[in-house]
Amino acid sequence: MLKLLTRRVGWVVAAAAGALTITLAGARDSRASDHQDTPDVELSPRMDINDVYAFPGSSPDRIVLVLTTSSPITPAQSASAAFDPNLLYQLKIDNSGDGVEDKVIQITFSGTGSAQQVLVRGPAVPTQTGPMNTLLTSEAAVAGAINTTIGTAGGIQAFAGIRDDPFFLDLEQFFRIVPDRKPVSGELSRLPDQPSATAFRPAGQAMDYLRGLNTLAIVLEMPSAMLTDGGTKKIGVWGTISR
Amino acid sequence: MRMRTRTLAALSALMLVAVAGACSDDEQDITGTGNDRVYVQVERLGNPLVSEVTLAKRNHGFHNSGRPSTDVANHSAELKAFVTNVAGRDASVANTLAAVLLPDLLIVQTDKPANTAGWLTWALANGYGGRKLTDDVVDAGLQAIFGALLSPNNVSPGLSTDNVGQNDKAFASSFPYLAADN
Repeated sequence: MLKLLTRRVGWVVAAAAGALTITLAGARDSRASDHQDTPDVELSPRMDINDVYAFPGSSPDRIVLVLTTSSPITPAQSASAAFDPNLLYQLKIDNSGDGVEDKVIQITFSGTGSAQQVLVRGPAVPTQTGPMNTLLTSEAAVAGAINTTIGTAGGIQAFAGIRDDPFFLDLEQFFRIVPDRKPVSGELSRLPDQPSATAFRPAGQAMDYLRGLNTLAIVLEMPSAMLTDGGTKKIGVWGTISR
Repeated sequence: MRMRTRTLAALSALMLVAVAGACSDDEQDITGTGNDRVYVQVERLGNPLVSEVTLAKRNHGFHNSGRPSTDVANHSAELKAFVTNVAGRDASVANTLAAVLLPDLLIVQTDKPANTAGWLTWALANGYGGRKLTDDVVDAGLQAIFGALLSPNNVSPGLSTDNVGQNDKAFASSFPYLAADN
């Protein structure tokens, strides 16, 4: 059910769509059997991308890329939160408009727990495009401890570690609208089994379900030219996790 | 499908290992795993809407393991069908959403002014695009699919905003921008 909290906007809209269907159809069978998503990802939140962001950095010619994973992490879990050293986290950039990556940034981790080290390779032309990749042969552009800012303010800056989850939504109300999608365990599982709302809560009563919860974030900032090099100023960005 | 994917992955992995092995003289071993290790994609995200909004759960793995260059061919019909059949909206709404969300890329026009940044502003206002931390993408998605953003017909007012408009903690104006953990 972790999937319900991940790529969460998608779920939210799907849930609301379900509510609309209920309204229109009058009744709808429980769709518990539909809840199997991609079991590998569901069972391993560290394989799950929560959100990807891209926005201007400290100057107009710099860009920030963010990939968050593993949310929700409670404050009690946060001190020991760490990335999976067996996974490859990537941000991929298409700068030629064909949906194929022309540059990749590869993030890997060594060690475990709060002593973990992060290695950032690229941006560079990938050795292979598509869903199967090997590491870039170049040495890591930036490397250092998690939970601290590393790199240089004029070149590549990187931070990988625990942060407040930047995402916000009233997830509890979604589950009141569409209880057949609620998780099977945890706080939200105790909401009523039958729909107890048909619309979102008004301002003032609506609550950010992710308030006070954390995520593992990879934040990178670099000159935009590192991504547009060899292509156009218009780029397409996406995140992947591979094992 | 799963079995076939695994078989293909294994075959391709073997081929890649063979290729890497053939030129292993300059192989490095920075992480201890070696550069010949083949990583297989299990998760993918571009826009905050596409992968689970409109695609049936049985197709999520297909999307996760796929690539943007085949998104239109693989997912456009299903995305449009969701908007028209499930949300009950006009075909024009479905076509607009498919056009801006597929291929599933977060589009950034890096040469546009920074103050025009925001999710889908590249399409709506020829702006910087991307996605800011402060963007209320839930409401944007709800307003497009259930509200009057793209069409006045068949709207569902109670479902067009969740009334949570901002994060619980303020974002920083400098790196790393995300608020400290709780």
